[in-house]
Amino acid sequence: MFQNRAEAYALALPAAIFAAIVFLIPVGLLLSEGFRSAQGWTLSAFVDFFSQPLNQKVFLRTLKLGVMVTAAAAVIGYATAYAIVSLPPGAKGRMIGLVVLPLMISPVARTYAWIVILGRTGIVNQALMLVGLTDEPVRFLFTETAVFIGLLQLFLPLMIISLISALENLPKDAVPAARILGANWFQVFWKIILPLTREGLIVGGTLVFTGSLTAYITPAILGGSKVLMLETLLYQQVTVANNFVAASVIAFLLIVMSFSANILLRRIATARNRK
Amino acid sequence: MMQKILAPLTLALVMLFLIGPFAIIVAASFSAGDTLAFPPQGFSLKWIAKVFTVESFRQSFAMSLFLAIGGTIAALILGIPASYAMARYRLPGAETVRFMVSLPIIVPGIIVGLALLRYFVIPIGLSITLALFLAHTALILPYAVRVVSASLANLRSDMEEAAVLLGASRLGAFFSVVLPNIRGGILSAFILGFVTSFNQVPVSLFLSGPGVRTLPIDMLGYMEIVFDPSVAALSSLLAFLSIGIVFLAERFLGFSRYV
Amino acid sequence: MKRQAVLASATALILGLGLGSAQAQEKTLTISVYAFAQDEYKKMLYDPFEAQCGCKLVVETGNSVERLAKMEANKANPVIDMAVISMADALQASRAGLIDAIDTAKLTNFDKLYDIAKDPNGDGMSVGYTFYATSIVYRTDKMQIDSWADLLKPEYASHVAFPNITTNQGPPALFMLGEALGQNTPDLKAAIEAVAERKDDIVTFYVKSSQLVQLMQQEEIWAAPIGRFSWAPFTKLDLPLGWATPKEGQTGGMNVMVLTKGTKNADLALQFMDYWLSTEVQTKLAEALVDSPANSEVVVPDEVADNITYGEETASSLKLIPSAVALDNRDGWLAEWNSKVGQ
Repeated sequence: MFQNRAEAYALALPAAIFAAIVFLIPVGLLLSEGFRSAQGWTLSAFVDFFSQPLNQKVFLRTLKLGVMVTAAAAVIGYATAYAIVSLPPGAKGRMIGLVVLPLMISPVARTYAWIVILGRTGIVNQALMLVGLTDEPVRFLFTETAVFIGLLQLFLPLMIISLISALENLPKDAVPAARILGANWFQVFWKIILPLTREGLIVGGTLVFTGSLTAYITPAILGGSKVLMLETLLYQQVTVANNFVAASVIAFLLIVMSFSANILLRRIATARNRK
Repeated sequence: MMQKILAPLTLALVMLFLIGPFAIIVAASFSAGDTLAFPPQGFSLKWIAKVFTVESFRQSFAMSLFLAIGGTIAALILGIPASYAMARYRLPGAETVRFMVSLPIIVPGIIVGLALLRYFVIPIGLSITLALFLAHTALILPYAVRVVSASLANLRSDMEEAAVLLGASRLGAFFSVVLPNIRGGILSAFILGFVTSFNQVPVSLFLSGPGVRTLPIDMLGYMEIVFDPSVAALSSLLAFLSIGIVFLAERFLGFSRYV
Repeated sequence: MKRQAVLASATALILGLGLGSAQAQEKTLTISVYAFAQDEYKKMLYDPFEAQCGCKLVVETGNSVERLAKMEANKANPVIDMAVISMADALQASRAGLIDAIDTAKLTNFDKLYDIAKDPNGDGMSVGYTFYATSIVYRTDKMQIDSWADLLKPEYASHVAFPNITTNQGPPALFMLGEALGQNTPDLKAAIEAVAERKDDIVTFYVKSSQLVQLMQQEEIWAAPIGRFSWAPFTKLDLPLGWATPKEGQTGGMNVMVLTKGTKNADLALQFMDYWLSTEVQTKLAEALVDSPANSEVVVPDEVADNITYGEETASSLKLIPSAVALDNRDGWLAEWNSKVGQ
């Protein structure tokens, strides 16, 4: 450890000041606009915003989809990550490569692919009709289901990767030992895996939840105007209605939601651990 | 025993879900038809060829390349000293610094873009290009700090302390001892920053002007005008480019150790 | 407001950032246009104009409302020199003081224009360069469209994409729907209500018409109200598609050129407008099925005329919403739409 304080500040401050100017100040100004009126500080913009049923609905839908995508990603993520870390090293590396692969592809293209896949004549509907699950093509496009699928595909890799690095640190014999001692899979997960991988879950969960809240392309293309989410509503408020106050309110909500998610996940994970 | 069947099945389904859309995009790139469709109608290279003839793609590709490279370099110039200070110095307020530089990861990109547009571009005439550059630099900064910090943490500090004791200047010690040892970390940060910036949409959504657009925004705009498979072709080309870069980095530098 | 502007300027100065974008040496004209058929425009309009004027064209694209919002945001510091927008948006821009009067004496092709295009809003602030009919593109093998109201039939509604209220096609389509329902008031209340009743069935409320080609090809939709200018790509699909002639008639709109207030390139912008209105350019664009001509000297073969909105007679037969009515009711429509259809 070096002690020279002036040197330390000279090294660290440029980055912090840069972030403050490019980030904190403009974003802070934008957020403050939602609380200001000609008469001074006020919450009226928030009251106005939530007094419209459409906005309430969009807010709840965004929250709901965020929670659902995060939960689904956690369940699928654990199963996948566990399967991957149990593989021999070579195969494991290749699998991780495949998980990372979608992150290299433009989200614009990844989202458009779903228009083809989920269409009335797309492969999902063809498969469903082939196995006789439905006679009529099911409508997926421009529904919450389509947005859910699109978001899950977009963000699942982040959860899997976070969980893989967490599971790697799990003592190799912990799970077999518990099984021999008669614990069922549910108990093994709840008592051993979850407490020991909670950091991974927190990181992955925050990334997936925040990502789902703030994705623009997926709700815009797969949801359209029938499935507005906060992010697409924000865009609409700015570009169509020129309403910067509503935009500030939405921005504030988005930031509060991502911060709360992080805190909440941290709480849940540590609470489980204490037992 | 169940696990013997369940694990591969889970993996196969998840991989299908993750990779399937990419396969469709690649297939569509070589389609002879006029719209995105699966299975593709015939085989042709015409959409791949078309990508190179669209002038706005060339412009926005250059813009995205500039932002990704320039932004990453700027983020590293800011991020390396900051990471070093946090790792090696007794720095009161280190947590505040860490929080500040990691903010861009938590705050939604669309808000950053809008805020820059509203308070820098419109009132004081800051050029859109410069605003994009600043926004992308801020966006990459957290990754740069995180990855460089991780590789600094793996590097024992007694070597440079010894170098300083033996009379090297602190700067000299940094360049001769530290920098060569975190080269891999810096390169990983570079690749991570590059990919993040290159595929970034929300930050750039509001930051576009006549003739100034990033590639993903341009692709989105193009898709809104014409629905032909040329955007699929472009995406495939870009994906193979990124995969190639990452593959080479992994081969020669063991990139994944740092991420 | 003031303090934050000062604060923001101060921070930018501290950073030592260059103010304002570098001025290019070459003469440049920045135009703002609709985001469709850019390949054709480049070939038939932009490239020849650049060659002629020895200047550079910078093109911004987007839909009318979005670009108008941008003009409003950049009011103090105009970025674009001229724009083409909808008639109603032109009136709004004029009321908001965003545009200047057009000196038509400098447009050599002005006299060739159809009378309705010469000064669409009657305020001297805009010149029409194209108009279009809005009707319904539909699958002739799956449905029969005799009236605008047919779109909402229970057996059809779940195969229909309807334009969102925020698009240029939205209000005209609702206007005709109101006509078909026999309750056509300027607030479009009855039509919005009728759409709201079917909102769960309707496939999507589209914002970009280009997406409809893909949706039609995938059989996701069978019908959608569109402007004639987006008809051309549908003709390339291998599907039995028709252009409906409902008994209530067709609606439509006119697109106009406007000059940004405070632009330094007014003369160049007028030169560009004049070139766009010339018989040569208007003919080429019409033959490519991009824009129906507003220039009366344009003559096109029948097979082209059948696929565009050709001739003054056709143009005057369209049932248009007057700009002032559109503007005065816009906020009301949006509120009504959001509360009934949006949620």
